[in-house]
Amino acid sequence: MHKLLAIDRRIIFALVFLSVAGPLLAGISLPITPTDEVKAAYDQFEKLDAGDIVLVSFSYGASTAPEMLPMSRAILHHAFRRDLKVVAICLWPEAPGLAQQVLEEIAAEFDLEYGVDYAFMGYKPGNFSVILNMGQDFRSAFPQDQWGAATGDLDLTRGLRSLRDFDLVLDLAAGDSIEFWWIPYGQEKYGFTFVAGCTAVMAPDLYPFLDSGQLGGLLGGLAGAAEYETLIDRRGSASTGMSAQSMAHLVITLFVIIGNIAYFVARRTSSEQGN
Amino acid sequence: MRDTYVFLGLILLFAAVNIGLMASGILAVDWTGLGIIVAAGMTLALYSFLYKDNPLFKFAEHVFVGVAAAYVFGQTWYPTIYGELIAEWTDPGEGETPNWWLLAPTVLGLLMLTRFSLRFGWLSRYAFAFFVGLAAGWTIPRYISSFILAQIEPTLQPLTWSLEGLNLLVVLVGVVGVLVYFFFSVEHTGTAGHVSKVGIWFLMVSFGASFGYTIMARVSLLIGRVTFLLDDWLHLM
Repeated sequence: MHKLLAIDRRIIFALVFLSVAGPLLAGISLPITPTDEVKAAYDQFEKLDAGDIVLVSFSYGASTAPEMLPMSRAILHHAFRRDLKVVAICLWPEAPGLAQQVLEEIAAEFDLEYGVDYAFMGYKPGNFSVILNMGQDFRSAFPQDQWGAATGDLDLTRGLRSLRDFDLVLDLAAGDSIEFWWIPYGQEKYGFTFVAGCTAVMAPDLYPFLDSGQLGGLLGGLAGAAEYETLIDRRGSASTGMSAQSMAHLVITLFVIIGNIAYFVARRTSSEQGN
Repeated sequence: MRDTYVFLGLILLFAAVNIGLMASGILAVDWTGLGIIVAAGMTLALYSFLYKDNPLFKFAEHVFVGVAAAYVFGQTWYPTIYGELIAEWTDPGEGETPNWWLLAPTVLGLLMLTRFSLRFGWLSRYAFAFFVGLAAGWTIPRYISSFILAQIEPTLQPLTWSLEGLNLLVVLVGVVGVLVYFFFSVEHTGTAGHVSKVGIWFLMVSFGASFGYTIMARVSLLIGRVTFLLDDWLHLM
């Protein structure tokens, strides 16, 4: 048992790697059942009419892209499929490259026109003060788009004055922007419908905001993205990764159980030898 | 010494694999193909830390920090500092006058940088005082409204004989238990001790949930990189 407790951690790493790589290579597919909070986010998009404007805030960087990009793709696909207009902003300096890539990729699938069907305003520093600024005067917060075109010159953004002009606001976040920026300074102050997508680490802290109605829906991590892909019936990288996720969880749970059994047996053996 | 040979062998293997991929046409011989090779190399170099700390990991780590810092600087400098500040004064556009009001926040921002000087560091206090006062004025009412008042309402809903009612009861017991646990003015004995113990159990469940979600997040990141290596790089999926 002592040997089991002193197992080389590299063996555990190798087994976790194999538990991830195996299902991916084998192409195993497991059923995915959407949870209520993901269904709620989906329903918020379903409630909108064609032509309604959605503000999508990208607040994540490369380090969380494997979790956040699949949900960005799924949500943008849903929005564009429903003929919704998307105005994208970035409140994280690392986000613009990733946001531009996913916007252009999904917009190209639907052959959409920039400035008419979607617009990308780029990054603005200032965290929550940018949200307050957008609430008071959207054009003052984002006077030009990512490529320098004046906000007033784009068909889509010409009529936008405040956050209240958006029919839905979505924050895709890997930091604390949902609960500490958007909810207190945006949703609470301006009263728009707000949904969020976040990394799995953040998800438990955001559930209270669903009960209070401050969040209209929530996608947590890769699992949330996979559930959304199921709802829109478009299998993507999140759904593909779910079998690997389940297998890795199984391996980690087994190690937790084995580690605990080994610990208690070793402790009992030591105490018996001490007596 | 053995580790040096292991890492040298891995570098040679990586080079051989890439040559093979390019020669067989699996990877394109262009900038996209090169980008994928660099990304695969960086991923493997960073994961090599799992074996042990090594120069390849250090190199990849430093490259990441440098690239990220430069990217953040570029994103802040061009659209905002240059685009909305310097260009506003130097190139305001035809028929427009420069907005000199922007000088006020610019000066306050520059004062913050005096922190680096022992002689002029005191000047930064004016900027910090302004910022602390402004942020406190913004934050206190917003946080009271969003995190206390808005959260009390769903916590104190009327209890009913239903699953929803049971859910509300669990939330209520959890909130009271945890609040009592963090109430340190009363010794945690007797009734207060029992209630705070309930609070500890709720905290433990909460920590367990957070830990579970954290594992899920880390595994998701691993899935992302493994998918990249197996699909985009090796084309095995």
